Amino acid sequence: MVRARPLRRMSSGSSDSSSSTSPERGRDDDNDSFMMQANDSQSSLGADLSPELSEDAELRRIYEERCRVSPVHRLPAELLISIFSRLSAPKDLQNCMLVSKEWAKNSVGLLWHRPAMNKWDSIHSVVQSIRKAKKFFAYQDLVKRLNMSTLALQVSDGTLLGMAPCKRIERLTLTNCSKLTDIGIQPLITGNRVLLALDVTGLEQITDRTMITVAETCLRLQGLNVTGCKKITDASIAALAKSCRHLKRLKFNNCLQLTDTSIMTIAAYSTHLLEIDLYGLQSLESPAVTALLISCPHLREMRLAHCSRINDSAFLDIPTELDVPVKFESLRILDLTDCGEVGDKGVERIIQSCPRLRNLILAKCREITDRAVFAITKLGKNLHYIHLGHCQHITDLSVEALAKACNRIRYIDLACCSNLTDNSVTKLAGLPKLKRIGLVKCAGITDRSIYALAMGEYKNGKRSHSASVLERVHLSYCTLLTLDGIHVLLNNCPKLTHLSLTGVQAFLRDELLAFCREAPPEFNDHQRDVFCVFSGTGVSRLREFLNEQKAHADANRSATPSVGSSDMGMIIEQHMDNSDSAGSSTPVIMVDIHGSHPAGATPVAPGPVQVIGAGQASPGLVFTPGHPTMWQLNVSQSNVTNLSQSAPAATSGMTWSIYPGPAHNNVPPVPPPHGAAQHVTGMMGATILDDVDEGDEAFGEGSETMGD
Amino acid sequence: MSTEAEQTVKLVSSDNVEIVTERKIAERSMLIKNMIEDLGAPGEEPIPIMNVSEAVLRKVLEWCTHHKNDPAPTQDDDADSRKKTTDIEDWDQKFMQVDQEMLFEIILAANYMDIKALLDVGCKTVANMIKGKSPEEIRKTFNIQNDFTPEEEDQIRRENEWAEDR
Repeated sequence: MVRARPLRRMSSGSSDSSSSTSPERGRDDDNDSFMMQANDSQSSLGADLSPELSEDAELRRIYEERCRVSPVHRLPAELLISIFSRLSAPKDLQNCMLVSKEWAKNSVGLLWHRPAMNKWDSIHSVVQSIRKAKKFFAYQDLVKRLNMSTLALQVSDGTLLGMAPCKRIERLTLTNCSKLTDIGIQPLITGNRVLLALDVTGLEQITDRTMITVAETCLRLQGLNVTGCKKITDASIAALAKSCRHLKRLKFNNCLQLTDTSIMTIAAYSTHLLEIDLYGLQSLESPAVTALLISCPHLREMRLAHCSRINDSAFLDIPTELDVPVKFESLRILDLTDCGEVGDKGVERIIQSCPRLRNLILAKCREITDRAVFAITKLGKNLHYIHLGHCQHITDLSVEALAKACNRIRYIDLACCSNLTDNSVTKLAGLPKLKRIGLVKCAGITDRSIYALAMGEYKNGKRSHSASVLERVHLSYCTLLTLDGIHVLLNNCPKLTHLSLTGVQAFLRDELLAFCREAPPEFNDHQRDVFCVFSGTGVSRLREFLNEQKAHADANRSATPSVGSSDMGMIIEQHMDNSDSAGSSTPVIMVDIHGSHPAGATPVAPGPVQVIGAGQASPGLVFTPGHPTMWQLNVSQSNVTNLSQSAPAATSGMTWSIYPGPAHNNVPPVPPPHGAAQHVTGMMGATILDDVDEGDEAFGEGSETMGD
Repeated sequence: MSTEAEQTVKLVSSDNVEIVTERKIAERSMLIKNMIEDLGAPGEEPIPIMNVSEAVLRKVLEWCTHHKNDPAPTQDDDADSRKKTTDIEDWDQKFMQVDQEMLFEIILAANYMDIKALLDVGCKTVANMIKGKSPEEIRKTFNIQNDFTPEEEDQIRRENEWAEDR
């Protein structure tokens, strides 16, 4: 027993799926050298087994001699397979196959587990071996995964028919092989009783015929993705739900013929369901959603984007016990994008019933107001991802409360929430785990928001975390933003990999657009004109460029003392140089990347600086030179004086506010010019969507079954 | 009652040699950990490690001593090992510089004693010895006899030729 346990654990550890996809074990049994030792001890218990005993002794002697000559023989098949499984190159596995019969037996399963289907030559060769009458191994039975999605469009029914003898495929991935029809797929599925996951995304030609075959044959099916299979109807899906009782992950995106009939049947029979995606099922009604929630207690992810008929009753009809709605503790992800009928009451009930929601997507639920967002704050630490784009009614009031209550938010999108101001963003900037923030078309926000994002969480005058974790910032059409704010953001957020500034006038300059990525091909000329997205190396190149420019401008200003040093190369210094040629209306950011620090040039004692009046309504940001990342947010200009007293370095010549001219004086942010709003909307949609999917977090083994 | 860290356990190798070691070190082996939990009263009863000789057991304990403070493996680590990476940290690489007999004995012992991380290092070490070698070079490395006829070898090569470039 003791031995059996680690061995079993090992062999399952070397396979990639929860079910056994490890190579066939049966054939290797005679090869398991441990068996001999085991037999040895067993046979000695027998009374008159002396002939066998001597036979065993002889075998044992041969075995020991073999192991003495080549110690590798000591390894049982399981361990040999475990070693071979570390070889990622098929060529290495093929070489192992050619070493000896023992090695061939133990490597062939790994090699054929997932045959190469990415080139025509490979497919041809694979099919030839499978179809061969007299072959060394039964290769067709070793194929556990078949993925034709690389060649997608080129794959025909004929190609697939070549693989029809493979009846032990566990994962079949045919994503976007849109030429395929029932004629190619049906023979492959017929007789396969072990299929676990089927992905036929984009196979518009397949019909109920294929799906009925699946329903009749593949009783172990767990994952099914029929996205865009428009010919599939309730008839086959209801049959499938009734016969395949292990369904865990279902994607029916844009299966336009599916109705409540399918979904109600699934709810009734699929008690193991973990994830369901019903994107774009326009005929879906609220009762089907209620039924799924009630009957599938393990449901972890429910996506109902663009199911436009769903309304509050989907959630208000959740039964109550003693006035408390039934709770669905497993639900982590709920996507209600563009379920325009869902309102505050629905959201309130969702939060009551699903207290452990981690991702909540309410983009384009246009009816919801602050009331819904206040309800969402009850999710507290559980909430990691929240999308409220186009929820235009919401205001600073609820967003500030959200930032306070849900401090584990990693992703927030507030695109087009045009009521929001710097007050919301400065609060959100304090979220310690914030990685992505979407503020597209939050036109009221100013550089003050950007400085806050650059600072991150500030406690007791110190940044609470060593460095910013911000990765993606979407600021398109935040038309009040200037170069300086973004420059500071760049220098304080080393992990930044995405920065969108489409339609922000300050960035539509050729020398900056040089680092911007290509506009998507479908964009028209005007969209191209305003397109401005920096990503990957584009972000770091923009950062370097701005720093160089700064250093250059610096060098030209010999009167300026070089101050500060940095361990991170991220010193930000601000100077108010009264003799600035631009007449002090253009603020200058000094960034000293070399860290030169002449003695005596910085009279300020190093140490954290207090944040004064952070988060107050009035803008007015003062930088003090002398210490890296020294920031001071001021309530008003008058505070600068106080500050100067406490920090000697902040002499009048060195203090500077980001608001040139009269903007100091509590002037509310000027609404952006909205002239270009019309052409912008379509493109903005793309910018937002660009990120919706990336934000989804993988949940452990969750996404395993649906494909490779 | 002493704390777990201070406790010692007695292990007995297959050749009947008693080795005393820290409980924490010994418990890198799930086999021993489970036995201690099942038996209770650690340190009193010697624990037989039936399939592992003294020399190998000492070598295995050397590894366990170096890694005694490693964090417990997480789900993430499991996912990583799936990526078939054959990177081995320096100390482990040096540790594995032993003759083949010892190398395979360590792997067998790690498997028997259920020390996943050591088994992992062992398998990676052997995988690295295979990587990039021709069948003949592999045979030489491990002293394996070719029991294929030339026809069989040719047949296997042809039936699996799709693996040659990928």
